[in-house]
Amino acid sequence: MTQDLEEPQGQAIQNTYESQTQPQGQKWKPSSADMQHYYERLLPFRYVFQWLSHSPKPTKDFTMREFAYEHRSGAYQRYNSFESQEEFKKSVVNANPTRFEIGAVYTVNPKERRNLPKNALKPISKELVFDIDLTDYDDIRTCCQGTDICMKCWKFIRVGSKIIESALRDDFGFKHLVWVFSGRRGAHCWISDSRARNLDELTRKAIVEYMDVLSSIRGNNKFMKKIKKPYHPHVERSFNYLKQEFIDIILEDQEPWLTSSTTPKDAKAWTQIEELLSFIPEKSLQIELRNKWINQNSLSTSKTKWEDINEVAKRVLKTQIQVLQLNEAKKDIIIYYMYPRLDVEVSRQMIHLLKSPFCIHPGTGNVCVPFDPSKNISNNSEDDEYGFNPTTAPNLKLIQSELEEWDRKPKNSNENENEKRLADYEKTSLKPYIDYFAKFVNELIKEELSGKRSREDDSLEF
Amino acid sequence: MFRQVKRKTTGRRNFEESVSGDIQQKLEGLYQHRLSFYDIPPLQEITLEDFETWSIDRLKLLIEIESCVARSKSLKDIEASIRPLLLKYLPMNSSGDACLRERMKDHYSHFILRLVFCRSEDLRKKFIKNEGILFRIRYNLLQPKEQQEFIESNSDKLVWKFITNEEKLDKFDQLYNASGLLIKNTLMNDNPGIEFTNEQIKTHIKTKENFIKLPFEKVANLVSSRSIYLYQGYAYIPSSLQLNLIATEFQDSLNTMLLRTFQTLPRLEEDDRILPLLNNLSSNFSNIQYDNFNNIDPSLVSDINHQSIQTPTIIQHYPLCSKILQQNLSLNSHLKYAGRQQLGLFLKGIGLNVDEALKFWSIQFTKKISMEKFNKDYKYNIRHNYGLEGARINYKPWDCATILSKPKPGKGEFHGCPYRDLSVDNLITNLNELGIEDQHQINEIIDDVGKRDYTIACTRVFEITHAKQLNQQQQKVAEGMHINHPNLYFDRSRQLERSLEKKEASV
Repeated sequence: MTQDLEEPQGQAIQNTYESQTQPQGQKWKPSSADMQHYYERLLPFRYVFQWLSHSPKPTKDFTMREFAYEHRSGAYQRYNSFESQEEFKKSVVNANPTRFEIGAVYTVNPKERRNLPKNALKPISKELVFDIDLTDYDDIRTCCQGTDICMKCWKFIRVGSKIIESALRDDFGFKHLVWVFSGRRGAHCWISDSRARNLDELTRKAIVEYMDVLSSIRGNNKFMKKIKKPYHPHVERSFNYLKQEFIDIILEDQEPWLTSSTTPKDAKAWTQIEELLSFIPEKSLQIELRNKWINQNSLSTSKTKWEDINEVAKRVLKTQIQVLQLNEAKKDIIIYYMYPRLDVEVSRQMIHLLKSPFCIHPGTGNVCVPFDPSKNISNNSEDDEYGFNPTTAPNLKLIQSELEEWDRKPKNSNENENEKRLADYEKTSLKPYIDYFAKFVNELIKEELSGKRSREDDSLEF
Repeated sequence: MFRQVKRKTTGRRNFEESVSGDIQQKLEGLYQHRLSFYDIPPLQEITLEDFETWSIDRLKLLIEIESCVARSKSLKDIEASIRPLLLKYLPMNSSGDACLRERMKDHYSHFILRLVFCRSEDLRKKFIKNEGILFRIRYNLLQPKEQQEFIESNSDKLVWKFITNEEKLDKFDQLYNASGLLIKNTLMNDNPGIEFTNEQIKTHIKTKENFIKLPFEKVANLVSSRSIYLYQGYAYIPSSLQLNLIATEFQDSLNTMLLRTFQTLPRLEEDDRILPLLNNLSSNFSNIQYDNFNNIDPSLVSDINHQSIQTPTIIQHYPLCSKILQQNLSLNSHLKYAGRQQLGLFLKGIGLNVDEALKFWSIQFTKKISMEKFNKDYKYNIRHNYGLEGARINYKPWDCATILSKPKPGKGEFHGCPYRDLSVDNLITNLNELGIEDQHQINEIIDDVGKRDYTIACTRVFEITHAKQLNQQQQKVAEGMHINHPNLYFDRSRQLERSLEKKEASV
C-alpha cells in the first residue's frame, strides 16, 4: 500500500482494479465491520426508501412493506417493517444483516402481524420482478460453471435483459423498470409502474409464461422441439436481435460444439451436438451430420459445424419444403441457445422476497448496483463498448480503498469546503450507479404524484 | 321474548295472487333478453313454493355441470349433456305465454342460489365456475342477432373498443402472426370439416375479422399462450373470442356481488322461513360435493370407534379403495405412508376421533413393532392429520380427484383408486367379493375403467351393490349424482341403511 501511495493517483486506482479482477477463486468476503461501515456511510437508504414509498414521504407502500434480514448466523428474519426512512436505516444498521430483502406490501403492517388474526396479513402489491441467473445456462456455457462468471457468459445476461426489457416496454407498456446486478452471476429486473405492482398472481404468471418462450423446447420432450410458427411478434423481435449476436456469442465465444479426434465420447460437446441434431427435422440429415462429425479427425469448430448443416443439407434434402423446415429449425436453434432463461417462481409469487438493490453480495463483496443494459454507466471508458461489466463492478473492498484514498489525498482549503458537502458515496465508484438509480426513482415519483393528482381530480367529478 | 317474535312477523305480507298490468310491463322491460348479467335483484314477491322449486331446479343444473367438470368434459360435451336438462329445468323460450315466467324463474333462482353459495370461498368459487359455464352454454344457444343485442345492451359493462380498419391493416402482420392459429381454430370449429389455408385466413382477417383492444390484464390466459398481439399494454383480440371476455366479465361481477351478498347475509338470516330452506339447499350441494365433514353430526358417528371400524357392519359401507387398504393393513400390520394418509383421513371423515385413531393404528401396528417405535415413528403423523401438530391444519379427507392425482401405488403400496390401479383380473376378483357376479354388469364397469371414468365405475358399483336398498327406497339415484369422494360413498351407504331401518321400525 505504501508503494501505491507514492505513485500517481490514477495508477493507484488502476491497481486496485486489477486486484479486483483477479481470478475468481480467491474471493474476498466482507466482515461484519465492513458491512456496518457500509450501511452507516454508503448505502443510499434515501433512494431505496423513496423508490419503495413512491414518494419523498413515507406512504403505506413503504410502511406496510415486508423486509427480511439474512443474519450472519444464517438465521432468516421475515416480516420487518418500518415507519420511516430513519427507522429503516437505524434498524438495518443495528441488525447489521449480511443482506436484506424486499417483499410485498401487505394489508396490514407486517411487524404487527402477531397481534392480528392470521388471515389479516394479505399481500396486495409488489413490483413485478424478473430474475435471470447464469447457473441456468450451465448446460450451454463452456467458459464457466456454477458460481463463476466472466465477460463471455455475462453476454447471455446482456441479450436476455434486452429481450425482456423490450417486451416489457413495447408489449406491456411498462415504463419504470430498473435492472440490478445480483452481485454474483445474475440480474434482477424490478418493474415499478403502478399497473405492474398491482397485478394479481395469475396475470404475473401469464406474463412470465408469455416471456418463457423456451418452455416448449427445453426439457425432455424430444419429439416436439419446435416453437410455434409463424413466430409471435415478441418471438420474431427477439429472434431478429439474437441472430445478430449468434456468431459472436455462441459460435465464437462459447463454442459449444467444438470437437477434435481426442474429444472423449462423453464430453459435454457431444451432448450439445446431440442437442443441436435433435432440432433438425429430417432424420436422414441428422444421421449424415452425425456421421460426418464423429468421423472427423481434425479440429472442428462450432462455426464449421453450423456451416456443415447447410453444406450437407444441399446433398440430402430433396424438396423445397424440407429446406424451409430446416431454415425454421435453425431459427429455433438460435433462440434455444440465447433466449433468456427465467426463474418463473420469482416473478409469479407476490410474496417472493428479493435482495434489495445496493446490498452487498455476501459471497463476493460486490455491490448489487443498478445498471443500464443499453449502455455502460461506470465512467470507465474501457467498458463502453461492452456495457455493464460485472467483473469490474463496484466491490465493497474497492470502495473502501477509494474512500481511504480520498481521505489521504492532500487537499487545499478551498476544495475542503466543497468536499464537506459531498456524501461519502460520491467519493467512490458507486457514484454513477447511485445517480442512475436516483434519476430512475425521481421519474417514478414524478409520475406517481401526477397520477395521484389526476386520480383525485377524477374523484372530484363525482 | 315476545318482542322478538313480533318483530319477525311484522312486515311480512301474504303473497298477492294477481300481478297487475303495471308490474307486467316492468317485468317485460327487465327480461328483454334470454341471457342476463343479473345486475338487478328481483323485487316482486313470489310464493315460498316457487322459491323452493325454482332454486332446486337450478341447483340440479349446476350439480350436473359440476359433475361434468369433475369428469373433465369439454365445453362442447357439457353443452350436449346439459341441453336436455336446460329444457326441463330452466327453459328459455324467445316468445310465448310462459316466456315471462320462465325468465322470472331464471332470475329468482339465480339470486336465491347466490344466498346459498356466498357463504364460503369454496362455495363461491364453485358457484362462479358453474354459473359461468351455464352462461357460456346459453350464450351459444342464442341466435347471432340476439347475441349482438345482448352485447349492445350491456355496452356499459363491456368496456372494449373495436380498432379501426386502418389500425387493423397497419398491424396486419403482427395480428396475423399472433392470432392466425386462434382464428383458424375458431373458423374450423364453426365450419366443421372444412380446411382453411393460410391465405384464406389472411383474407378473412383483412375482410371480416374485427379486433378488440383492451388492457392485457383482462385476458391473462391469452397472454400466457402467446396467442394474441400485445402493444403498449393493450391486448388485441379477435372479436370471435368475445364470449370469453363476456364470460370473464360475468364471472368477475358475480364474484363481487357474492362477496357483497355475504356481507349483508346476517340481516337476512332473521327470516325464519327462508333460512332453513337455504341451509337445506347448501347441504344438498355439499353432500354432492362432499365437503361437509367439518360438521359431522355426533349422533350419527356414536358407533364409530377403533373396534367398530374393524367389523363388517362398518366396513361394508367402505368404498373399494378403503376396503383394500383396510384388508392389507390387517394382513401386514403395516401400511406405507400414502396408504396411511388415504385411509387415515378417510377414517377421520367417517367420524373417528383422534384418540380412537391412535388406538386403532397402534393396535394394528404393534402386532409387528414395539409401542415405543410406534410412538416415535407414527404418532406424530396421525396427530398431524388431525391438526394437532406442526402447521395445525385440519386436513380434509382426500376426494377422488386428489387420490387420482397422487402417484400410483408402487410395490407393497395399496393407496390410490382400485379402478385405476388394479389389473383387470384382480379388479374382477374384488368385484366378485363385493357380490357383483353378473357378467353384463362387470363388463359395464370394465368399460368405464377403459374410458378412464373411474369415479363412474365406482358409482356404478355403488348402484349395483345398493340396488336392493335403492329399490326399496323407491328412490332413483338422483340425476348426475355421482361418487367423487370415498366418504360420500360411505355416507350415502349408511344413510340408505339407516332410512331402511327406520322404515322397518315404523312398520
